[in-house]
Amino acid sequence: MADLSLKLFGKRLRNPVMNASGTLGYGSEIEPLWTVDTLGAYVSKGLSLLPHHGNPPPRLWEEASALINSVGLQNIGVKRFFEEKFPLFEQRNTPVIVNFFGFTEEDYVRCAEAIGAHSLIVALEINLSCPNIKAGGICLGKEAEAVFRVVRKVKEATPLPLVAKLTPEVTDIVGIARAAFEAGADGINVLNTFPAAAVDIESKALALRGGLSGPFLKPLALRSVADISRSIPIPVIGTGGIMDHRDALSFLMAGAAAVQVGTATFVDPFAIPKIIRGIDAFLDARRIARLDEIIGTARA
Amino acid sequence: MDDIEGLIVRNDPVVPGYFRASIRLSKPMAGIRPGQFVMLKVPSSEVFLRRPFSVYDYRRGLLSVLYKVAGKGTAALAEARARQRVMVLGPLGNGFTVLAGHEAIVVAGGIGIAGVSLLWSKLRGKKSLFWGCASDAEAGLVNDMISCEPYVSTMDGSLGCKGSVVDLLSQHITALKRPAQVFACGPEPMFVSLRDLLKGERIPCQVLLEERMACGLGICFGCVRKTLDEAEPYKRVCKEGPVFDLWQISL
Repeated sequence: MADLSLKLFGKRLRNPVMNASGTLGYGSEIEPLWTVDTLGAYVSKGLSLLPHHGNPPPRLWEEASALINSVGLQNIGVKRFFEEKFPLFEQRNTPVIVNFFGFTEEDYVRCAEAIGAHSLIVALEINLSCPNIKAGGICLGKEAEAVFRVVRKVKEATPLPLVAKLTPEVTDIVGIARAAFEAGADGINVLNTFPAAAVDIESKALALRGGLSGPFLKPLALRSVADISRSIPIPVIGTGGIMDHRDALSFLMAGAAAVQVGTATFVDPFAIPKIIRGIDAFLDARRIARLDEIIGTARA
Repeated sequence: MDDIEGLIVRNDPVVPGYFRASIRLSKPMAGIRPGQFVMLKVPSSEVFLRRPFSVYDYRRGLLSVLYKVAGKGTAALAEARARQRVMVLGPLGNGFTVLAGHEAIVVAGGIGIAGVSLLWSKLRGKKSLFWGCASDAEAGLVNDMISCEPYVSTMDGSLGCKGSVVDLLSQHITALKRPAQVFACGPEPMFVSLRDLLKGERIPCQVLLEERMACGLGICFGCVRKTLDEAEPYKRVCKEGPVFDLWQISL
């Protein structure tokens, strides 16, 4: 048994594997199969200050080894999350990263303010891929200046560490990460889904517009992780296309402090526990005692 | 609930375009209730996500699903041969609730029969089955399951009553004993006409809905259905369903 634990934003996590936001519901849904304390940390479904209905169906479209989703951030809101869902993580003593979003900069600030500190909360994770309604629906995370502004405002509003989750749909992702860092972000998560669309040739209509996820993302995200972790001195969480422990190890070696697993869980609900066991077995087989020893070894 | 490895024992056409697959599970699947479903990992590298199937039958470790070839996943499953390995996640979702002392009226449209077959076999007491399909070419879908005489309708009139299954039900509904409850599975228009028919009758009705799914577990929020709950209109078919009260869903 290698030591897979790590310290992230001052909190001890038992391993570096988390779920990606919105791919493990509120946590309780997976418990018939495995308990949430399997995770290094549980990343909450994206929360807003008030409950949000999300998009009307259809919300899913399958592509070759990929999934387009248009769930639209359906969630029960911060208040109900802490009243109804958080007790499970207290019961299981599981660290939590609270993912949140807004449709205006003020929304983000008010939502962050509503999340109180708790010994199990590792960080807030700000979803920067939402359409900014006041800016004509432009995704906030696409402009370094907007990222700087909203990250700074949120940092002023909360004492909790803040992870900026970036959209890949930018020309210079290192520049965006730097803007988040300079505004005070404590960590970077790359990356979110790619904007995509599908056409139903039977109905001759657009079938779905949404975010594309799946194993194709891995090399793209890996490149971003390597570039960002080399140039920005805060922890990077690697997310995108991780299907097995080899993918997860690639991210860690590229410089990620931790990884998030999303779509893989839909294909195999045991993907996360298998990845954790796989990392452990990989280290054991090579007589590597601690996870630390492989972090960033492949950084260019 | 568990993710269980299975081996396909049989996977044969029942009538053209419809197949029945029987899967020998490597360990028993606990507590399957009628109306619940499984997520199958179809043995094809072309199919990325699992696919949901109602449990058509389950006895002594042998699980079967009845399906219509409707897309990439079911087409790939239809190609699967005996002894191929499949992963079977289940049982999932909420099944039907049988009310004590009620006569059961089971209504199915086309492949909707796959969703109510297990229920039918478990129902004790007085029950009747109404089944509608396109034509007599599909008649074989009910043959191996029904020990009684079902009420049958076909859209083209080639078998039984001509018209929809709800038209057929409407001709008999006053003769059925009260209290009664309806269980239904079928296409969307069937639910709409059921609602119109049952509106005045105050008969409880549970419907089994079908939706594209990614996880089947309630973790992705992809398979929602709009309901009349204004506070939280979108309910997960896999988690809050797949059985819903007809009067709660938005049609």
